[in-house]
Amino acid sequence: MPAHFHKKYLFTFSGILVLGAAYLLFFSNTPVDYNTQVKPILNQKCISCHGGVKKKGGFSLLFREEALSPTESGKPAIIPGDAANSDMIRRLHLSDPEERMPYKEEPLTDEEISILTRWVDEGAKFGTHWAYQTITSPSIPSSGFFSFFQKQSPHPIDRFIDEKLGEVDLSRSPEADKKTLLRRVSLDLIGIPAPDSIAQKYLNSKDPKAYEILVEDLMSTPAYGERWTALWLDLARFADTKGYERDYIRSIWRYRDWLIKAFNEDKPYDQFLVEQLAGDLLPDPSDEQFIATAYHRNTMNNDEGGTDNEEFRTAAIIDRVNTTWETLMGTSFACVQCHSHPYDPIRHEEYYRFMAYFNNSRDEDTYDEYPLLREFRPSGQLRYDSVMNWIKGKGTKEQLIFYRSLLKTGQQCVNSITADSMVNAALEDTKFLRLRKMGSARFKNVDFTGKPNMLIRFRNPIDKGLLNIYMDSMKNPAIQSVKMDKTKDGWNIVKLTLPKEIKGKHDIYLHYDSKLLKKPEENGMVMDWFVMTPDFPTDGSPDSKIHEALSLQVLNHPDAELTPIMLDNPAYMKRKTHVFERGNWLLKTKEVEPGIPAIFVNNKEIKQKNRYGLAMWMTDKKNPLTSRTMINRLWEQLFGQGLVETLEDLGSQGALPTHPELLDYLSYEFMHTDKWSIKKTLKRMVMSETYRQSSVVTPDMRKKDPLNKYYARAPRVRLTAEQVRDQALAICGVLSPKMFGPSVMPYQPDGIWSSPYDNRKWTMSQGEDQYRRAIYTYVKRTGPYPSMINFDGSAREVCLTRRIRTNTPLQALTLLNDSTYWDVSVRLAKSCLASEHQNFTKAISKSYEKATGKPIDPQKQNTFVALYRNSLLKLGDDTSRIKTMLSDSVFRKGQKELAALSVVTNAILNLDEVITKN
Amino acid sequence: MEKIVKEARQKTLSFQTRRHFLQDCKTGMGMMALGSILDGCNFFAPQTDAETSSNPLDVKAPQFQGKAKSVIFLHMAGAPSQLELFDYKPELTKLDGQDCPDSFIQGKKFAFIRGVPKLLGPQANFKQHGQSGLWLSDNLPHFSQVIDDVTILKAVNTDQFNHAPAQLLMHCGTPRLGRPSMGSWVTYGLGSENSNLPGFVVLTSGGRNPDAGKSIWGSGFLPSVYQGVQCRSEGDPVLFLKDPNGFDRDMRKASIETINKVNELTYQQYQDPEIMSRISQYEMAFKMQVAVPDVMTIADEPAYIHEMYGTEPGQESFANNLLLARKLVEKGVRFVQLFDWGWDSHGTDPGTALDLGFINKCYKMDKAISAFLLDLKQRGLLEETLVVWGGEFGRTPMQENRDGKQNTFKGRDHHADAFSMWMAGGGIKGGFSHGETDPIGYNAIDGKVSVYDIQATILHQLGFDHEKLTYSFQGRSFRLTDVFGKKIDPIIA
Repeated sequence: MPAHFHKKYLFTFSGILVLGAAYLLFFSNTPVDYNTQVKPILNQKCISCHGGVKKKGGFSLLFREEALSPTESGKPAIIPGDAANSDMIRRLHLSDPEERMPYKEEPLTDEEISILTRWVDEGAKFGTHWAYQTITSPSIPSSGFFSFFQKQSPHPIDRFIDEKLGEVDLSRSPEADKKTLLRRVSLDLIGIPAPDSIAQKYLNSKDPKAYEILVEDLMSTPAYGERWTALWLDLARFADTKGYERDYIRSIWRYRDWLIKAFNEDKPYDQFLVEQLAGDLLPDPSDEQFIATAYHRNTMNNDEGGTDNEEFRTAAIIDRVNTTWETLMGTSFACVQCHSHPYDPIRHEEYYRFMAYFNNSRDEDTYDEYPLLREFRPSGQLRYDSVMNWIKGKGTKEQLIFYRSLLKTGQQCVNSITADSMVNAALEDTKFLRLRKMGSARFKNVDFTGKPNMLIRFRNPIDKGLLNIYMDSMKNPAIQSVKMDKTKDGWNIVKLTLPKEIKGKHDIYLHYDSKLLKKPEENGMVMDWFVMTPDFPTDGSPDSKIHEALSLQVLNHPDAELTPIMLDNPAYMKRKTHVFERGNWLLKTKEVEPGIPAIFVNNKEIKQKNRYGLAMWMTDKKNPLTSRTMINRLWEQLFGQGLVETLEDLGSQGALPTHPELLDYLSYEFMHTDKWSIKKTLKRMVMSETYRQSSVVTPDMRKKDPLNKYYARAPRVRLTAEQVRDQALAICGVLSPKMFGPSVMPYQPDGIWSSPYDNRKWTMSQGEDQYRRAIYTYVKRTGPYPSMINFDGSAREVCLTRRIRTNTPLQALTLLNDSTYWDVSVRLAKSCLASEHQNFTKAISKSYEKATGKPIDPQKQNTFVALYRNSLLKLGDDTSRIKTMLSDSVFRKGQKELAALSVVTNAILNLDEVITKN
Repeated sequence: MEKIVKEARQKTLSFQTRRHFLQDCKTGMGMMALGSILDGCNFFAPQTDAETSSNPLDVKAPQFQGKAKSVIFLHMAGAPSQLELFDYKPELTKLDGQDCPDSFIQGKKFAFIRGVPKLLGPQANFKQHGQSGLWLSDNLPHFSQVIDDVTILKAVNTDQFNHAPAQLLMHCGTPRLGRPSMGSWVTYGLGSENSNLPGFVVLTSGGRNPDAGKSIWGSGFLPSVYQGVQCRSEGDPVLFLKDPNGFDRDMRKASIETINKVNELTYQQYQDPEIMSRISQYEMAFKMQVAVPDVMTIADEPAYIHEMYGTEPGQESFANNLLLARKLVEKGVRFVQLFDWGWDSHGTDPGTALDLGFINKCYKMDKAISAFLLDLKQRGLLEETLVVWGGEFGRTPMQENRDGKQNTFKGRDHHADAFSMWMAGGGIKGGFSHGETDPIGYNAIDGKVSVYDIQATILHQLGFDHEKLTYSFQGRSFRLTDVFGKKIDPIIA
């Protein structure tokens, strides 16, 4: 970390402007620093008129060459080395508010003017924003302010923290007690209280390494992966439906399962990203690597009738660009869609160059969300294997590659929604091509080379149909015709063999008619897609026919789990990418090639102009953002706030890092020492004394550091929506350990699902599926699970980089009254009464201990005992009321006590200490 | 309990005061240490940190004195036809059945119309009404009683012609997801006048939620406390409002008192101000349990009110929701959003035919809305309540020919270029008409206003310059109207 950085933060943290001014006076020999002194003034006072959006007077301060170019007045406003003759500086001094800058605003302070003046005099050099500088390893502070008085922690994190604490005259708190720490680290690492065996081992251990062993034990439980997946699902905007008006089902839960496995096996973060961004472009990708790419297939898909598929394909691409930057590189990129970045040096055109990496994916807002990976069920796998073995034995390598791709991913199918020049034909509900009596449609640019066969997936409501295929013009004679019979059970595939001599790319026309259609508007065939194929390998035997028929069957009805994945277009289908004027997708201007914004190019050419190249650039150790963004996020998960508060924006308008050297230290170690291991990094963090300290706030701390930006205490933060639910289920012992699989539907009040045109119902899952962890709860975008939303969860329409915690009465109502929580309260009461032999006082203590991990103190105990007695009194002998409370049909002995204790456990589960990480 | 709550308030307040001190103090330590919070600060600080506990719904002053204190937005989801309600086009009657001239369809995109559609004359008769002499169709027989309290905007324009994006544009200022809705912006700006009720309430009728789903009352990047709370006609009016079976008020009171007492003990241990905030929230939850069902029932309204509105207690209906809306603003709720589903008159079936299903929808709406405006007026509420009516777009002067085939019933396709909305009360002129369309009602030819202009006007009536009600997110200031919008001066009284 350069020396000026250190000074700047000394400056920030000392926090007293007078001192800052004194500092400047004393050290005015040092050159002005652009990043810490100049850029903040420009951003705050100048750039809203002289930046990427507006360039008033033809003057912009975003890029150096712009700042030094002639303005509308004809001469430059900044002359490097000559502030006296620079118009920008002159106009800061004027008294007429019409002439003075900032225009019609308060004048700059003398200090600000002096900084800018010196900056121009010193050559008006622009610097690189801190987050765009390559990460180097900062030196670890060796002696803190208090090192004479206090034993120093050997942990580098504590050294960085202590150094800053000295500046505000605070010191770290003592370590939290064992039970508090156990609960804290369990919730942080696995999202639920530690399993009993792990907890007891730690609590009973005298080993000085007991805590470290605890951390490792926790990270090796499968629950670890589930907890960190919860975080990633927000970033990936994962949902079980497609979104928008119709919001139909989408089967993409395998991606969620992929995340859990990836976290559990501690897949290095660079590989974790490469597979999600470009798993399909890896050599001979595995099913798992394909599934990883579903990350960017979580964009929404619009099925609303009458919507333009290209518009929503484009919307999805734009979402992928913005999500990639915001979640993985902490940069707000969305504004560059319409104009150059207003504050950071990223140009409008660069947005579209970046978009070009994504613009060639095969998906195009089709109803069935093609392309889909087919993971065959056993019987489907048998058929697929049989076809592939045949091709392996009889065919060429090219045939093998082609058919494997076709049968596994449907690749190279041309979707019927790309038809144009329709005559008495239409894209029905903008989903499929419908041909009516004598209807026709065109498909442009179909590649015939080496592929003389055409497979068409269709449905036909009527017999005696005839389909003619024309090439280049309908005036030419048809190149092939086929009889189309009425289809009985849904989609069918027909194969047409076309003349072998046709080569290259041609437009083709499909023309349909049936004698049975009387009126022009009567419906004929519907088409899903077609694909041009090479010949199926044959040895002339009847077996050839059997295998070919089998291949069509696999293609049409694969008997497989289908998951949307990313695939790129084959070369002949490549899309061009254009700059959209003001972000409007209909106003296409200049064509652009894939590329990275100039400020992020580290003298390193990206070889592959595709998502793989992009992923390589993102995970390169020279990329200044990827590691910092993830470290900041992991820190936020453990400490309640990021080292940079704005997780979504490390740019010059985002918050400044409170501990820049610490951020860089951790980011460097993450890449270089820990080889992108998330587990090692988390361990590094939770092993620090900073993490392990008590969260009690003293008046002194509250006065000096109300927001705990210096970490003189551990944070107290409310649990996340997922943790609130999972913990409650775990406390009462019903949390199911079942992992993976399709999403489940636990109890939810009626009437949450009511989107138009969708008659699907929330059908309560049975048995243990009622009690799965929250990440398995079905997410319908237009009707998300209410208790998740009440606790600041995401509806997953777009990515959510940071949940802003709120504290509302709706949260209270949820925990008090949601049947899920009442059910849990009764179960907790029941199990504690049983284990404590119906002794209610002991049962109260036990419930409290289960819920908080700590023994109850007498004062709290008495309060709950009073509530218990009061409830008993109110229940009296009203057996029917007691039965209602316990949803029981018969009244048994002890149920009055159970009901009264349930009122108590319900209160316990609502305690601040239960829903807060202490 | 009272004591604890009082203390909670005081502690919260003292913490808040310190916070405000830090915010107001633009130099010195507060400025430095709280720099990131101030990033989000415009004229007051949003809650960006859990540690800064205060009630984000506390009443706040607008930028200037607005005429309206609250807004009731009546959204006819699906988009009703302006040509059968407010925009009288006798010329279109003469052209009924003729091919639509090429100039109107060249280069245009429609949701369902393909090829050359035919023009469709108005499926209603029009007459002038009131002192203002404004034209109304006979689908609105009751509305003539209130016409002199209403400004009709006849040339509203949007750029979205599909339901979900157009509804998003209308309520969130963008056709894409992720931005806060108007009601969220307003509660963020003004807080709520009734601490026992949510500041932004949503009521739906017509059997379905609107096409764009809950995002059109979502809080986007604003803290979730500002999102609309959907009150329901069946089950709990607010989710989880009702205690578990077998509880009564006393038991709940004792339970919340216990929770708060124990939390108070925890506070003594940890000194975390967030605990005090939680104590207040539990107190508010307890009060909401009474206040919400109270305001959400119409059973105790007098018979003449039911007669007037056409309400039937216990049913989910637009009329019931209108009556509830009146009760909610009476109690100080800031923004009430009604969605009535079923106005998508394509003419694909009798329910969506302009001469069948549409008339039934109109009949129910007309009676209820007219009663509602009269009711607001007689209570003196109309002056300070801005009522806005409209769909997400309008409908084509052409009859729909889905996929190039004439639809079986008389219906119209989605139309973005010009449609009608109206506003009443809250400092808007009465008996006034603004804007005009061409003789067939296709394009705006005068007084064209955009959806953003509507939004800017609503905010203005509440006391906000729409360009200055902003929130900093991702390094830039966002506002409801994006980078567009201008308040519609001619309609402001």
